[in-house]
Amino acid sequence: MVNKQTYAEAVKNLPNPGLGLGLRSKHFNHILEHNPAVDWFEVISENFMDSGGRPRHVLRQLADRYPVVMHGVSLSIGSTDPLNIEYLSKLRTLAEEVNPLWISDHLCWTGVNSLNTHDLLPVVLNDESLKHICNRINQIQDFLQRPVVFENPSTYLTFKQSTINEWDFLRYMTEETGCGLLLDVNNVYVSGFNNDFDPVHYIHQLPHDRIVQMHIAGHQHCGNYIIDTHDRKVVQDVWKLFNSAWQLTGGVATLLEWDSQIPEFEEYHAELLKAKKYMNTLSTFKDEETAPLYNEAVVSNPVDFLVSDIMG
Amino acid sequence: MEPNNFSLIQLQNWMQGMLIESEVNDDPGVQQQVNNIVNSSKRLSAVRHLDIYRQSYIARLRACMQNQFGALAYSLGKDLFELFADQYLEANPSNSYSLNTLGEKFPAFLEATRPDAQQREIWPDFMIELAGFEYALSAIFDEQAVENDNKPTNDTPDGGLKLAPVFYLFHHRFPICNYYLEFCQNKKPELPLEQESFCVVTRSNYKLGLFPIRGAQYYFLESMKKGKSVAEAADELIGKFNFNRNEFGAIWPEWRRSFIASGFFCR
Repeated sequence: MVNKQTYAEAVKNLPNPGLGLGLRSKHFNHILEHNPAVDWFEVISENFMDSGGRPRHVLRQLADRYPVVMHGVSLSIGSTDPLNIEYLSKLRTLAEEVNPLWISDHLCWTGVNSLNTHDLLPVVLNDESLKHICNRINQIQDFLQRPVVFENPSTYLTFKQSTINEWDFLRYMTEETGCGLLLDVNNVYVSGFNNDFDPVHYIHQLPHDRIVQMHIAGHQHCGNYIIDTHDRKVVQDVWKLFNSAWQLTGGVATLLEWDSQIPEFEEYHAELLKAKKYMNTLSTFKDEETAPLYNEAVVSNPVDFLVSDIMG
Repeated sequence: MEPNNFSLIQLQNWMQGMLIESEVNDDPGVQQQVNNIVNSSKRLSAVRHLDIYRQSYIARLRACMQNQFGALAYSLGKDLFELFADQYLEANPSNSYSLNTLGEKFPAFLEATRPDAQQREIWPDFMIELAGFEYALSAIFDEQAVENDNKPTNDTPDGGLKLAPVFYLFHHRFPICNYYLEFCQNKKPELPLEQESFCVVTRSNYKLGLFPIRGAQYYFLESMKKGKSVAEAADELIGKFNFNRNEFGAIWPEWRRSFIASGFFCR
């Protein structure tokens, strides 16, 4: 077993590639034809790890041109099922091919008894789950021979049996395993609204030196709760949180997620580039404020991992 | 389950059960269970918090099914498709990290649960064939294969022609390929009458090609798919249908041009 300090050091040495976009199949042709000036791309590992067709073919070309980060949705780090070695092997094979800057996934579980709900389900936050998860992170990092970066998911419930705040849980994970953190600013906002915590306090409590990446995204306000839909522009409150997080972390790789009602590439890229004006301590937040749209019939869309668009 | 006395395994089994079992309802006992395990918040009850996950679970997977079986969903209509998809997902919850295989058993499920068990009707047969075709397309799209860009020319001798590495033949009771193509072209096709049809699906430069063909062409190409040369496939076709060799010789150049242009052959 590799010493956790080794992984912690590796996390500290990870680069900041700048502002990135999630790679979506809708934009494959545009990117290959125009080589847009995007600093890096994040790819959903599961969309490519089994592909012997166009998705993998496109990724190989893209990885030759841009830095790439592999972001997963099926590691299921919190599950009580045994680790899926077949999945991990394919993840490792893809990483060997793509040479990503890092590999990330979520603090969640996706199912038990070999079933997969394809959702990022909330983890009960207590000593038992912390020990369980850290043990699995150690095994996975040794298997992959690299540190793994974990993202705070959007959550829609908390458990009575939880005894540890999420920000502390994430801190303990980094301390016990040397793993890195992916701070999804929008998820903090969504979870804070849904579960009655202050997102600013959450961000202040995190171990900022362990954060190697941030996510920003749009969400949908449903009145009494918020759904993480990734289907629209980033709201001003999330930009404010991003501004705080940028100051606290000293600036890390930042990525805009957009997974439903995906716009044309130029619009997607333009939304990402707004991040530049929210990096400054003197940023103002008076412009572009919009009233929330309430809609009950929405589905959380953690990431774009739908089935292949075969005729696209 | 009482609060604070359950293990991690128990908790995850309980929550997963609440998500995937549609039987869970407004039973007061169930609600009390949720209240014992999940926190309420300023705005939502514990039950409502859990409901967000419950509703998202089926809606997300239903949307994936709709993506994978777009033509079928169009043909059945939204409500009927959702009914079948929901029943399928309840009977076959996903056990893969990949959503690409979510609908793998859907055609067989439709066959096993066809609504005309008492008195057979035609339209379920069409739906089952269409579902099978759509799933096959998604599998071909992403299958592992080394594509061969070495295209034949007009000068390539017949003996140098072989089938492209990704080449599939389909034989249907209904005009499935035409229906699917019209759906993709947003032509809003009508439910077709029963009519035997044949088609080829290829993948070239990682893109699918769908080509309706005639019956004789199907049997000729089927022979080649089994490893026969052009000459051997021609002999089999002539023998099988008692064709006149001269007539085949007259039509072969046209077939050959068409097959090469469609990417059926490589060298």
